[in-house]
Amino acid sequence: MSEVLLEFKNLGKNFGGVRALDGFDMQVKRGEIIGLIGPNGSGKTTSFNLMTGIYAPSQGEVHFDGADITGMSARKVYEAGIARTFQRSRLCLPLSIFDNIMIGNHARLNTGLWFNLFQRRALRGQVEEFYTQARDLVAGFSEDLAGRMFDPVGSLPMIERRRIEICRALISKPKLLLLDEPSAGMTHDETAQMMDDILAVRDRMGGLSIIIIEHEMGVIERLCDQCVVLSYGRKISEGSYAHIAADPEVQSAYLGMD
Amino acid sequence: MDIGLFGQYLANGVMLGTMYALVAVGFTLFFGVLDVIKFSHGDVLMLGSFTGFTVYIGLLSLGIENPWVMIAAILVVSIITTAALGAIIARYLVLPLKSAPPLNILLITLMLGTAIREAVRLFYPDGSNPKAFPALLPTASVDLGGFALRADSVILVAAGIAVIIGLNLVINRTRLGLAIRAVAQDEETAKIMGINYTMIVLVTFAIGSGAAAFAGIMNGLYYNEVNFGMGLLLGLIGFCAAIIGGLGNIYGAILGGFLFAGLQTIGAVALPFASAYKDVFAFGVVIALMAWKPTGLIAERSSDRV
Amino acid sequence: MQNKTIPDTRWMGLPHLAVGLIVIAAIALFGWQFLLADSEIAVLGMVALAAMAAFGVGKTGLNKSMSAAMRNHGRSMNIAILLALVCVIFLLGGEHFPLLMLTTTLLYMTVAFGLNAQFGLTGMVNFAGASFFGVGAYTAAVLTNHSALPPILILVAGGVFSALIGCLLIVPVVRTAGHYSAVVTIAFSVMFKTFLEVNDVLGGPQGLMVGPMKTFGWDFNSSPLLMGMELSFYVNYALLGAGLAALAFMFVQRLERSWIGLTLDSVRLDETASACFGLNVVRAKVLAFTFGNILIGIAGALYGMMISFIAPNSFSFSDSLLMVAIVLLGGLGSLWGTALAAVIVVLLPEKLQILQEYRFLLFSVVVILMLLFRPEGLMPRKVRSYFPNWRPEQ
Repeated sequence: MSEVLLEFKNLGKNFGGVRALDGFDMQVKRGEIIGLIGPNGSGKTTSFNLMTGIYAPSQGEVHFDGADITGMSARKVYEAGIARTFQRSRLCLPLSIFDNIMIGNHARLNTGLWFNLFQRRALRGQVEEFYTQARDLVAGFSEDLAGRMFDPVGSLPMIERRRIEICRALISKPKLLLLDEPSAGMTHDETAQMMDDILAVRDRMGGLSIIIIEHEMGVIERLCDQCVVLSYGRKISEGSYAHIAADPEVQSAYLGMD
Repeated sequence: MDIGLFGQYLANGVMLGTMYALVAVGFTLFFGVLDVIKFSHGDVLMLGSFTGFTVYIGLLSLGIENPWVMIAAILVVSIITTAALGAIIARYLVLPLKSAPPLNILLITLMLGTAIREAVRLFYPDGSNPKAFPALLPTASVDLGGFALRADSVILVAAGIAVIIGLNLVINRTRLGLAIRAVAQDEETAKIMGINYTMIVLVTFAIGSGAAAFAGIMNGLYYNEVNFGMGLLLGLIGFCAAIIGGLGNIYGAILGGFLFAGLQTIGAVALPFASAYKDVFAFGVVIALMAWKPTGLIAERSSDRV
Repeated sequence: MQNKTIPDTRWMGLPHLAVGLIVIAAIALFGWQFLLADSEIAVLGMVALAAMAAFGVGKTGLNKSMSAAMRNHGRSMNIAILLALVCVIFLLGGEHFPLLMLTTTLLYMTVAFGLNAQFGLTGMVNFAGASFFGVGAYTAAVLTNHSALPPILILVAGGVFSALIGCLLIVPVVRTAGHYSAVVTIAFSVMFKTFLEVNDVLGGPQGLMVGPMKTFGWDFNSSPLLMGMELSFYVNYALLGAGLAALAFMFVQRLERSWIGLTLDSVRLDETASACFGLNVVRAKVLAFTFGNILIGIAGALYGMMISFIAPNSFSFSDSLLMVAIVLLGGLGSLWGTALAAVIVVLLPEKLQILQEYRFLLFSVVVILMLLFRPEGLMPRKVRSYFPNWRPEQ
């Protein structure tokens, strides 16, 4: 098994005449947490969308776990083992916590018509089994939340929603987790809590790699093994946090100096 | 087919296309500023033509019979009425549902359309029967090789096209149009730039509804009849035209309007089955077009940001 | 979690099941008398009574006890409801018109359950409900006149044809969302009625005769005898209609309380995110659309056989809108709400002739007010519970 889990080769995406991402090379090793940073509009979320099959790349390749997944549909990518959260939380607010997490577990659900309509006993077995799994997963974040699995998500505060979103991504036991600004909309304390959660998850799910997009540099510094900096769709620096923080090109990209 | 008949169909098609485009432009304007469909548009149009009819009856009873005065009065009153109605609908039914699921606005305006239609049928004097709309325009005609081009048709088409061009100029060349386009682009930014968002939305709805009233009067003058159900079909056709053209695009709406009229004409003339199937044919093609180009011929900008 | 105390929701100290059965009996009695009431004053009085009762149910906590009964004794309650319905049908016995109204209501209910699978769960508004209903009815007309197919198969054929016609729309409906999808079904609805009107083979604007339902030597249009008493032939149709509505209810409820229901909800709420978690959005939409159209088509076929004469005017866009209004009024995805709304929308104008003329106006205004002030409907849908008597948290 190769050390490298994910690799971008010369990845690029154009929207009309705008080059959102250009010649992006990156590698993610197994078990690594990578921070993807850069000013707004630098191509971070675009690269997530290219990886997860929401957009097809205009150029380049994405390799994941030994297979070429360039241009695969979102479904296929998910089945290959990449799960994500969204920049603006995209939970189904009227549905319960349990339902939302089960959406992430979709590959293992039996969605056959006959099974669901007529084999109610077998269905019940599956519901109970997955309930236990989902409950345990949620309990790892918050015991209180685990006691409210059938509350609608819309009734929860932001930090709890973020947690559910992460649980929804984790329930399928992915090999790579993509977090798109997990601290958005949260207070300083909540962000700190969220970081503890993420580290705990990584410890529990050995070998899980994470790519995290984040504007809070504190989060990046604490969590990430490696950082990649994008600016105007191009990679301008990579390395440890200390390395990129000292990189003059990174500083000028953020501060807008030349 | 002889050239005269061909000319007749062509003239009719152009007339219909102009009317449809006028209706479709309204749909596309509303969608542009608010990303909503106001389905009551067709019934607002119907109400506009009934208002016009009422003005005509009123003028007759006052003894005013000069056709040009009548047309001017009919147009002014009915356009002002429907424009006000459009703004009221936007203010009290559409804006309050702005944050609800987008389909709710379609649903509420569909229901409003039904309510307007039914109210006219039930409460307008003898409202369930068609009303004979007067032929106020000169009907002199020139013979063009077997087909009579009538003056009223020419005036109607010319006026309709003038209104479309005028709307286009308002949208693209005036400060008001600039504000409308700004709101359509990005509501938040437009607000920050000091644009009175609510006002612009209301004005847009007023303009679109006024254009519909114009199309309604055109329809009445052309067919010499108005009835309570006319808005449903015209509204639906305008909606289809705006959709196949590509929502939010004024040229798409014009394209869609003439395309639909063309389809109806082809359905009536060129196809082997009876001309009664022309609407079935036209709607069938619309459905097929939707399968082929789900967001219209001139595609809408993608709105699902991830 | 075992020792979390469950607040006592019992009503007047009675067990939930007993309360449930009493309420069902009361509603059945009320329904029976309501269907028989013949003066406008009596009907208005009963409507007022029902409104007061509905208000009182909330105040006295009866509704909590009722939902506990439904949750813990679902099967017994469902059987009791069906039995009560059958009792009402036999009590009405020889009364043609009330039975016709009841059956029409039950068939519209079936339609609304089908629409609920499409709209309430999956978010695909079908503005051509009356058209698919019409496909079923016209299928029944053609087959009863031109084939020797047993009528029970004709019902099935009504559903199948409706689904097949639905397949013509499936590509544009599935590829589009929201407004674009709406225009497809609206255009189809208008197109379908125009087609019926201009098509001579299907009787044009005058419509067609439909043969009666005959099964296993049982002619539905002859009057059955019960203990020497001659009953209205509508009893047959009412029983079949009740069976159909019950089956439709069961199917849609099971669909909702399953992984498929979850998939449909997810597709409705966020297509993009759904795809990111491996959901097959196309399959979900095709399934919900077809499933709903089958139910609508079967109901339409039975409707055609019952009224024995059909014409394009019964299948107009306004009728489709009325069907959508039922779903909206009841509450999206809420089956009991849908059933209640079907009764209000179909039965009320039939009983209050004064409303009949104004019904499209009245219900469109009601739906407008509903969307503005109570968009979740009369009986809002609750959070999904896959097996109502399974509550792992308590």
